[in-house]
Amino acid sequence: MSTINFSAREINFKIVYYGPGLSGKTTNLKKIYEQVPAESKGEMVSLATEDERTLFFDFLPLDLGKVNGFKTRFHLYTVPGQVFYNSSRKLILRGVDGVVFVADSSPARLRANAESLRNLRENLLEYNLRLSEVPFVIQANKRDLEDAIDMDMLKRVLDPQGKVPFFEAVAADFDGVFEPLRAVATMVLEKLAQKA
Amino acid sequence: MLEPSLDLYGSTFDSVDGILRELLAKSRARYALIIDRKGFVLMHARALWAPRPPSLDSFATLVASNYAANRAIANLFGEEGFKETVQQGAEVGTYLEELGAEALLVTVFDSTAQLGRVKVATKQAADAIRVELENATEAPPDVDFDAEFQDGATALLDGLFGTRDR
Ligand SMILES: Nc1nc2c(ncn2[C@@H]2O[C@H](COP(=O)(O)OP(=O)(O)OP(=O)(O)O)[C@@H](O)[C@H]2O)c(=O)[nH]1
Ligand SMILES: [Mg+2]
Repeated sequence: MSTINFSAREINFKIVYYGPGLSGKTTNLKKIYEQVPAESKGEMVSLATEDERTLFFDFLPLDLGKVNGFKTRFHLYTVPGQVFYNSSRKLILRGVDGVVFVADSSPARLRANAESLRNLRENLLEYNLRLSEVPFVIQANKRDLEDAIDMDMLKRVLDPQGKVPFFEAVAADFDGVFEPLRAVATMVLEKLAQKA
Repeated sequence: MLEPSLDLYGSTFDSVDGILRELLAKSRARYALIIDRKGFVLMHARALWAPRPPSLDSFATLVASNYAANRAIANLFGEEGFKETVQQGAEVGTYLEELGAEALLVTVFDSTAQLGRVKVATKQAADAIRVELENATEAPPDVDFDAEFQDGATALLDGLFGTRDR
């Protein structure tokens, strides 16, 4: 649920980048950080291991500016994708407003994608949330790989019912990084508008 | 109906602001913040003499995550949480109190303050804030986060990334 601060006239949303290890979640945040002008972003905080694997989370606050007199902000987080960091992943999901699932297009990671998605469902349940109720999009990253898996195949595995918006991306080149963020943000705002 | 995470507006806001200032005066601490457990800053106060604080967003995110991790550690041992959360460096330290299920009160102090005083003052402030929140009766201000708000926010988001050529 968004955090509304009436006294400071601020509304804050929390977006979490989820997905298997090395799929490119941290890369998404780094590229967003590079693209956004200085006055619209805060510091990026990364809690990572020596070899740059996410240990706890990455954090990047985006400041959109004022809408209807309210300072509107999106806080972006990544989770650690490696399987054994599940307790950290769970903690990061607290208060989540929307999720971008970063899938890896390498055929060898197909099963890891599916397992990470199942893990997301399980962890959301800890907060009494069902994935179908949370604004959710999928980014198929690393489309530049020579043996990148067929998009239809990936969709069949991750979204057999065809309900989730999909975006192809080469996050390392900032291709397809903004689109899924915009899509999930729009869904989050829509949900808020319905409640208002 | 939208529920703010804590009833911090109107007269409650003013009272809590007063409590934070009193906390700073009594403890001689630098800053006092109320942070929600998701990592957002809800309120903050700074002593007149204190240096400019670091990024409060980063601070709040790290405090909330650290608190959540500590709680998870305590849970591993069948504890609900740890009673005291103190961090002390050579110059600067932090002290944390829970404010109900939603929020945290954090005091940041330096070597000019005494830890004992900081603890007592922070505990007293937390009690006083809890009482204020329990007695809060004012309804939140009426704001519409409607379709118009949605369009405005989306336009700004596009603007953020619009400068690049694709
Ligand atoms: N080929 C290719 N490589 C990419 C792309 N995006 C990211 N990478 C690379 O994939 C590797 C892992 O990227 P990260 O962003 O650290 O992955 P992560 O999902 O944050 O990994 P964890 O923190 O372990 O969960 C890095 O070497 C990136 O350079 C892409 O679009 N194409
Ligand atoms: Mg990472």
